[in-house]
Amino acid sequence: MTALYDELRPVSAEQHYRVSHFLNYEYRLLDDERFDDWLALMHEEVHYWMPGIENRRRENRLEHGFYAADHMAYFDDSLRDLGRRVARFQQPSAWAENPATRNVHQLTNVEVYYGETDGEYIVHSTFQSVRSRGLDEEYVIYGRREDLIVQDGDSFKIKKRLILIPNATLTCKNINTFL
Amino acid sequence: MGNMIKTIDVTDSLTNLKDACDLENGRISGKIFYDKTIYEQELEKVFARCWLFVAHESQIPKTGDYITTTMGEDEVIVIRQKSGGIKVFLNACPHRGNKVCFAESGSTRGFICNYHGWSFNVEGNLVGQHESGVYEDSDFDKSQWGLKEVAKVDSWKGLVFATFDPESPSLQEYLGPMTWYLDALFDNQEGGTEFVGGCIRSTYECNWKIAAENFVGDILHAGWTHDSAARAMLGGAVAKVSDFEESYSVNWNGHGYEFALDTVGNVAVLGESALNKYLHTIKPSVAERLGDFRSNMIGSVSSCTIFPNFSFLPGQNTVRVWQPRGPNKIELFTWVVVNKSAPEEVKEKWRKGAMMTFSPTGVFEMDDGENWEYCTKTARGRVTSQQDLFVGLGMDTLLTDTPLPANVYEGQLNEANSRAFYQYWFDMLNAKSWSEVPDRNLGKKEAE
Repeated sequence: MTALYDELRPVSAEQHYRVSHFLNYEYRLLDDERFDDWLALMHEEVHYWMPGIENRRRENRLEHGFYAADHMAYFDDSLRDLGRRVARFQQPSAWAENPATRNVHQLTNVEVYYGETDGEYIVHSTFQSVRSRGLDEEYVIYGRREDLIVQDGDSFKIKKRLILIPNATLTCKNINTFL
Repeated sequence: MGNMIKTIDVTDSLTNLKDACDLENGRISGKIFYDKTIYEQELEKVFARCWLFVAHESQIPKTGDYITTTMGEDEVIVIRQKSGGIKVFLNACPHRGNKVCFAESGSTRGFICNYHGWSFNVEGNLVGQHESGVYEDSDFDKSQWGLKEVAKVDSWKGLVFATFDPESPSLQEYLGPMTWYLDALFDNQEGGTEFVGGCIRSTYECNWKIAAENFVGDILHAGWTHDSAARAMLGGAVAKVSDFEESYSVNWNGHGYEFALDTVGNVAVLGESALNKYLHTIKPSVAERLGDFRSNMIGSVSSCTIFPNFSFLPGQNTVRVWQPRGPNKIELFTWVVVNKSAPEEVKEKWRKGAMMTFSPTGVFEMDDGENWEYCTKTARGRVTSQQDLFVGLGMDTLLTDTPLPANVYEGQLNEANSRAFYQYWFDMLNAKSWSEVPDRNLGKKEAE
């Protein structure tokens, strides 16, 4: 979002509370491995995108600076793709998920703005995902997020999610969670 | 010439190599995955001597296009020349050793060191410095202080390899008849292949050999390790490899390729029918180009490692280098390869499909990582590391009466390629020169 602050359209304190509460709830579902409930929060046209980060010089910037839509990505998912990832987590033969990974997802710096159409909200935030496996493995992923969420009755659905980590090399072997 | 790389002296073998492996009896020692002195030997005798994959031609199409990568732990710049050729330089300023290129890829007219402003052109020549007058006062010979160029660069069907060792055999000789098999993925259509943009890098706490060996010839793990991913992507278990009527493990100079002839077994796990359809559509033209046999390999259940650390999966089209970062750490660089002539929507499905299955978020790769890390970590134990590990499947399966090139073994569920990989590794560590590397190849150099 490139608009200057006085051109932005932040939502009311009450609406801000509702949206950020929803996103905190979403993260708790992941910590509790309630993947089906989590998947139900996704819009049927969801685009869940976490591009690969490329360490380029300023004069050689890509489409979006350090990432591009047609380049490799960690996630570039539709609802079907997310469903397949969830299906793997739920297999008894997902050997590397048993014992379970213990997750803590945190969301901070939440800014909520009105979107282009009624009932759409643009949410900027930062996140921290801490995972621990086995006795002593710990992996922390920090990043910035931009979500497009839409009102759905008394709740919301996630229609777009852009996840940007600062790292050009992931400092762990995998991302066996959602961010 | 000052810009030629200085070769390093190979030190004597260390006693730590004693009992490292006994491949005739199908065993290796756990210590080869954790021992620091063995790792130091590997950097010198394997990574500073062998041909290493550095780029795909399509990543650097124009003059001044470059990527940076590593050869072993040595940082290098791979850059396209005006002549159309490719040069590979150490990514280190010859003045104080600072890195001269901090970006992973881009396009440039040269590199300027941030420290004292030494400036190099695309050819690697030193063309200027900050306060250049003081160098002139010291009778400085600029021509001797360009970026250090690796000994040799060569390519096979778009795959660019480099070696630090001027004494190494030619790339053609090093790859030997494996090129016949490489063509099943890298030259099955007119125009060859290209890499999708970008590179996904991740970090594993495992020894590089565990990962390289997994791709050299371990399809055995797939049906078990990857059951969850197969069920998620296909709704059922992966194909039972022992049911295939015909499959092979082939190797040469430590490189290995294991494959079935089912055409689409690998591509099928991407769960995109359009990709299966694409391979079936091009198959007749592949058969015309490469013959019926290799047209069955374009996306079949298969995997390959070119010694020491370049691997790929036909069908999933993931291409990767297991970059060594210590005895118990690697950085994994992955790319996606597609046929240049494939329709855009097919390329796009491969871009997504390869990452959905084989990347740090890939549903298949997820279960590999933990296995590889703990194959390495258990060797932390002083006693555990001294124990024998079994690598003895298919001891008597060499096919002597086959028209296929290379050392050909019957069946994919076979550890012949793994043994050949470790044998070549062991031979390289023990050899003080290339002439001391024993030729253990038994098969044909060319297809009949």
